[in-house]
Amino acid sequence: MTNEDAQGSTAEEAQSKKGLKKQQKEAEKAAKKAEKQAKLAAEQQGTEEDDFAKDQYGNSVMIQSQEKLDRELHRIQDLTPEKADKLIWLRARVHTSRAKGKQCFLVLRQQQFNVQALVAVGDRASKQMVKFAANVNKESIVDVEAVVKKVEQKIESCTQQEVELHVEKIFVVSQAEARLPLQLEDAARPEVEGDEDGRATVNQDTRLDNRVIDLRTTTSQAIFRLQAGVCMLFRETLTNKGFVEIQTPKIISAASEGGANVFTVSYFKTSAYLAQSPQLYKQMCICADFDKVFCVGPVFRAEDSNTHRHLTEFVGLDIEMAFNYHYHEVIDSITETMVQIFKGLRDRFQTEIQAVNKQYPSEPFRFLEPTLRLEYTEGVAMLRQAGVEMGDEDDLSTPNEKLLGRLVKEKYDTDFYVLDKYPLSVRPFYTMPDPSNPKYSNSYDMFMRGEEILSGAQRVHDAQLLTERAVHHQIDLEKIKAYIDSFRYGAPPHGGGGIGLERVCMLYLGLHNIRQTSMFPRDPKRLTP
Amino acid sequence: MSMYQVKPIYEGGIKIDLPTCMYTLPNVHQLQAASSCSSEHAPQNGAADPEVRALEARQDEIMRKLFELKAVVDGLAKTVATPDADLDLTVSSCLGSPSPTAACTFSGTADLDVLLGKDMGALRDIVINANPARPPLTLLVLHGLLCQRYRVLSAVHVHSSVASVPPQLLSCLGPRHADGYARNLFQLGFTLIWKDVPKLQMKFSVRNMCPIEGEANVARFLFRLLSPGPSDAAPATLVDSLVDTAFFQLAEGGAKEQAAALRALNAALGRHVWLAGSELSLADVACYCCAVQSGAAASAPANVQRWIKACENLGYFSRAKLQ
Repeated sequence: MTNEDAQGSTAEEAQSKKGLKKQQKEAEKAAKKAEKQAKLAAEQQGTEEDDFAKDQYGNSVMIQSQEKLDRELHRIQDLTPEKADKLIWLRARVHTSRAKGKQCFLVLRQQQFNVQALVAVGDRASKQMVKFAANVNKESIVDVEAVVKKVEQKIESCTQQEVELHVEKIFVVSQAEARLPLQLEDAARPEVEGDEDGRATVNQDTRLDNRVIDLRTTTSQAIFRLQAGVCMLFRETLTNKGFVEIQTPKIISAASEGGANVFTVSYFKTSAYLAQSPQLYKQMCICADFDKVFCVGPVFRAEDSNTHRHLTEFVGLDIEMAFNYHYHEVIDSITETMVQIFKGLRDRFQTEIQAVNKQYPSEPFRFLEPTLRLEYTEGVAMLRQAGVEMGDEDDLSTPNEKLLGRLVKEKYDTDFYVLDKYPLSVRPFYTMPDPSNPKYSNSYDMFMRGEEILSGAQRVHDAQLLTERAVHHQIDLEKIKAYIDSFRYGAPPHGGGGIGLERVCMLYLGLHNIRQTSMFPRDPKRLTP
Repeated sequence: MSMYQVKPIYEGGIKIDLPTCMYTLPNVHQLQAASSCSSEHAPQNGAADPEVRALEARQDEIMRKLFELKAVVDGLAKTVATPDADLDLTVSSCLGSPSPTAACTFSGTADLDVLLGKDMGALRDIVINANPARPPLTLLVLHGLLCQRYRVLSAVHVHSSVASVPPQLLSCLGPRHADGYARNLFQLGFTLIWKDVPKLQMKFSVRNMCPIEGEANVARFLFRLLSPGPSDAAPATLVDSLVDTAFFQLAEGGAKEQAAALRALNAALGRHVWLAGSELSLADVACYCCAVQSGAAASAPANVQRWIKACENLGYFSRAKLQ
C-alpha cells in the first residue's frame, strides 16, 4: 500500500512538474501573442493615422442586399485594348498575389479568364493599401475599381494579354480561408512525363474531395462547359431532325437488362430498382407512335468495377426511332447526330478544347463524314491480321477494341467509327437476328478513340419472336411479361442506342479518367461530395 | 511474279525438204496423228462422230465471237478516227456493262487474290486521302474502269480537317450505295477521303505496306489492278515516262513546259492512235486528265485535240469532268 502511495505521489509530482513547465510556456506564449497583437494594433493605429487612402480599401460589410448600387460590373473577357484608360468596376477572385516593395501584382480571375492587376504606391494608393492588397488571401472575392491600361509587352500568363488594371479601390467581398486544401496552380499544372523538378501535383482523390475548388480551375471550367455543349448540341440536332424529348421514370419495378447490376432501393413496403437504362420506356414510346424519341437522364449501374471508364451513375443520352425498311436508317441518324456534335464542338468550343489541351495535351479529335461503317467480321479479320487469336463469335475484349481502334485510325484516320453486325450470341435477347446469317445480328457499337461509347441494335418488335429469343436466353417470361406485351398491339420496326455523356466528353478531349468529366462522380468507392 | 518472256529458240512449224526417193511415213512427233486417223475413219462409218460435231460447234462459236469482236473493234476504230461520231450501239452497250469485253481494252488479266493477297474475310479496302483543292481526276477515271471490272464498294468521306467540300466532289464516285448493302459481297473497296493533305496518299494494308504518295504512283497501282501493263520493258518505260510528263509538266509545269509537253504529245499522236501505241494505256488517262485539269487542252495542237475528242468519246472519261 505504502509503496503504491509513494509511487502515486511521485507520479503526481512528476506530473505537476511537467504541468508547471507547460503552464509557464503557455503563459510565455500568451504574453508574446499579446505583445504581437499590441504591436500590430499599434502599427495599424499608426498606419491609420497617416493613411490618406483608407476609404479606398478594406473588408466590405457582408452583402445582405442592403442597397442596390447603380454600378456596372465588367466581365474580364471583355477587357480589350479598346477599353483602355477607362475607369471600371469589376468583381473577381484573387488568383495570385505577389508583393514587391511598393507594388503588388494581383491576378484577378473570373472563371477561365484572368487579368493582371497592379496596386502601386502613388497618389491614389497608399503604402498601407498595397500591404492590404498583398495580404488578401488567394481565392477571396474582391470588388475592384481600376483603370484599364494597355501594356507594352504581352502578359503571357493571363488570358487578357494586352491590358492590365491599375487598381484604385479594392474591397474584399468574401474572404477565403488562408489555408486552401489544394492550390489551383498545382491542380492546373500540365501533365508531364515523369516527375521533373518535383513540382506538386494534386491527386485525383484530393481533387474530388475538394471538388468545389478543383472545379474552379480553367481546365475543369472548360471541361464542363464543353459537356454542356455536348448536351446542347445533342438536343439541338435531334430536335431539328424531328425527335421528341421524353422523360422516363428512374425508379422501376423490374430490372430492364439482366438482374445482376441493378441497385435495389426500398420502396415503402416492397423494394424497387434504379433504372439501368430507359430502354423499355423508349421502346414503349415508339409503340405509342412517338416515331422518334430521345432522352437525357441519369442511369444507374451497380457494377463493382473500379476502372477509368466505369461510373455507377452517369448521364445517358438515349435515342430510339422507328425506321422504314432497314436499320441502317437508325445508324445513319445516330452517326449524323454524333458528327453534328463533333462539328459543333470543333467550331463553337475551340477555346474550351484549347484550355483542356494545355493541361492534358491530346491529339485533336478526327472524324469522317459520313461516318465509317465496318462490319464485325472485317474487324475480326483486321485483328487476326495483326496477330490476335479469336473466334468468329467471340466478343471483343477491351484491349482488342483498343487495338482495332488503332488499326482503323491508322488506315482511315478517324477516331469515330461504327462496327456493325455483331454476333447474335453476345447481344441481349431483344436484338434482331440478321436475316441472311442467323449467327449474326442487326446490332452495332460505336467507338471513339477505340473505346465503346454506344451500343445499339434493331429491336425485336414481334411478340412471338421476342418470346422465342427470351426462352433461348433462358429468361423467366413472367418477369418480362409487361415488356413483351407492349408489342402485342402493333409495333413499328425500330432501333436505337444509348450514349454515355461522360464517356463522350472524356474521349473527345482525350482524357484518361471518366471522373474528370463527371462533376460529382459516383463509383463503388465514392458517394461524396 | 511473272518473268520476262524470251523468244523460243526454234519454232515448231519448220518446213523441212524431205527426200522423195523413199515412201513417206506419218510424223511420229505429231500428236494429232492418231486423232486425225480416227477422224478420217469417221466419215467412212457413215455416222458423224459426236466429238467432231462438238468440235465443229466450238469452231462456229469462236468464229461468231470473232466476228462480234471485229464489229466492236470496227466501232471503236470509227469513234477514234471520226471523233464526232456517236458511239455505236454495240460499243456503248459493251462499255456500259461490266462484261469482260469492256475491259478488253487492256490486255492481260488480273486476279485480285494474286495482286492484293487473300482477303481473309475483310473487304480489301483501298483508302485514298485527297485534298479537295486538287481532285485526283486520274483516279476517278480509273475508279470507273475498276467498277467495270470488279464489284467495287465506293465511298466518299470528308475528314474533319476539311471544313466543307463542294457537292460535286461528294458525288464524284457515283451515287451513294443504297442502305443495307453487305460489305462482304464486294471484291474491292474504294474509299476516297477528302482531307487536308499536302500530297495525295493511298493506304491499303497498313501493316504490310507503307502509304503510297502522289497521284501518279497511286494511278500506277490502280492501273495494275486492271492490267499487268506491257510485259516488254520498252513500252512500259514509255508509258511510265508519259505519266511523269503528265504530272510534272502538264499539271504542275509552267506555260512553257506545258507547251513543250503538248508538242511532244502531238508528235507521239502523229505516229499512233493512242499515246503509247495502238492500245489505250495509263499514259492516255493521265495525260488527258492533267491536260483537262490544267486547262492546257484548250490551246492544244491538232493531233492532241483529236485525241482528246477520242478520249471523251469513251464513256468513263466523263468522270474527269468535275468542274
